Amino acid sequence: MTATIVQTGDLVKTVVASLIAGVGVTAIFSVAIWGGARFADLNRGGRPLAAAAAAALGAVALVATVAAVAFGIVVMTNK
Amino acid sequence: MSSDVILVIVVGTALAFDFTNGFHDTANVVATSISTGAAPPQVAIGLASLLNFAGAFISISVAATVANDVVDAAVITPTIVFAGLIGAIAWNLITWWVGLPSSSSHALIGGVVGSAVAAAGFDAVIAEGLVGKVLIPAVVAPLVALVVAGLSIGLVYRLVGRQRPGPVTRGFRYGQIISGGLLALAHGTNDAQKTMGVITLALVANGTLGADANPPLWVIASSAAAIALGTYSGGWRIIRTTGSRIIKMDAAQGFSAQGAGAAVILASTHFGFPLSTTHVINGGVMGAGAGKRVSAVRWGVAGNIFVAWLLTLPAAAAIGAAAYGLTRIFGTGALGPVLVSLMALALVVAAFARRSQRRAPVPAS
Repeated sequence: MTATIVQTGDLVKTVVASLIAGVGVTAIFSVAIWGGARFADLNRGGRPLAAAAAAALGAVALVATVAAVAFGIVVMTNK
Repeated sequence: MSSDVILVIVVGTALAFDFTNGFHDTANVVATSISTGAAPPQVAIGLASLLNFAGAFISISVAATVANDVVDAAVITPTIVFAGLIGAIAWNLITWWVGLPSSSSHALIGGVVGSAVAAAGFDAVIAEGLVGKVLIPAVVAPLVALVVAGLSIGLVYRLVGRQRPGPVTRGFRYGQIISGGLLALAHGTNDAQKTMGVITLALVANGTLGADANPPLWVIASSAAAIALGTYSGGWRIIRTTGSRIIKMDAAQGFSAQGAGAAVILASTHFGFPLSTTHVINGGVMGAGAGKRVSAVRWGVAGNIFVAWLLTLPAAAAIGAAAYGLTRIFGTGALGPVLVSLMALALVVAAFARRSQRRAPVPAS
């Protein structure tokens, strides 16, 4: 009865989806920012290979952020 | 003829409520972007308006909940919906006047529940829907936003805390354009649907639509336009409360708060929970503040907001019930809604006139 009133299943799904989306997207975007910041520092420090690796990681993370946001919106529109 | 006149008044009042909802909630959507310097106020508000408009078209799950799961549509009349809307608008104006970010959504649901109880007793309320789809999510969602924002900001500081602050702040300011946009989209999705749900409820009560009907396109489009216009008109007084009085935020905190708010609102909307977007966003702001340093949150201000949260449902319900009683003094026809809406309009105009008088510049002489 309580489960029916509280709609436990949907509520749990909401909580899990919020945690994954909220924390996940912020973490991935932070990696993108880390990549950008490290690229600038390493490049200035004369380490082009390491700078390129940091930039590549940052770029991948940025693309992943945009993809995650787009995926979220697509899921929303498909109900 | 009389019922059609009432229906027109209800639709007009619902759209006016939607406008006040956008007006009232502008702060929630844009305050973090403005206070961290991620976007100039006019740009942030313009973008938020556009995305609120777009968001209203994304889903109809929340509208279905409001129309079918909170009050029994079989005993609802357009006059009951009208009185509920008056209760919600009155409470929104009161909290706008004192500068508290209370919940427009709870005001709407409280108002409709109050007027329904006044008209048809407690049997008119669908307890399962009210508790399971409104009250429980109302408690859970802000807490989830608080936890998500707290975890997010903790992670952010671990990942980028040792980097030079300049590029990190710039990066998160750019990120806030995305997170702020998502938050505006989420706001439009959840909040505009409540108005759609109420208009649909009135259309069903009037016999214009069949039971369990979805909102027609004109209802969706007009609700989207009203909330977008309201958002553009903005509530600067409340922006200050949300943006800087709860905590002084940096760009990473703003991003975390907005991301948490958007994630919770979009997920809840997907499952048809008519949330208080105000509560969720403030939960995110507090989480982002507490995640950095618990004492960074001005808990006194947060406490005032919490009191407003607690008061909103019962206060709007009481005003909705009173508005129904007042309307019925003039009979069951269109006279009551016409007179009460004129009275409400006069009060709104007086409130705005008084407020603008207070803000008028003092002459140099």
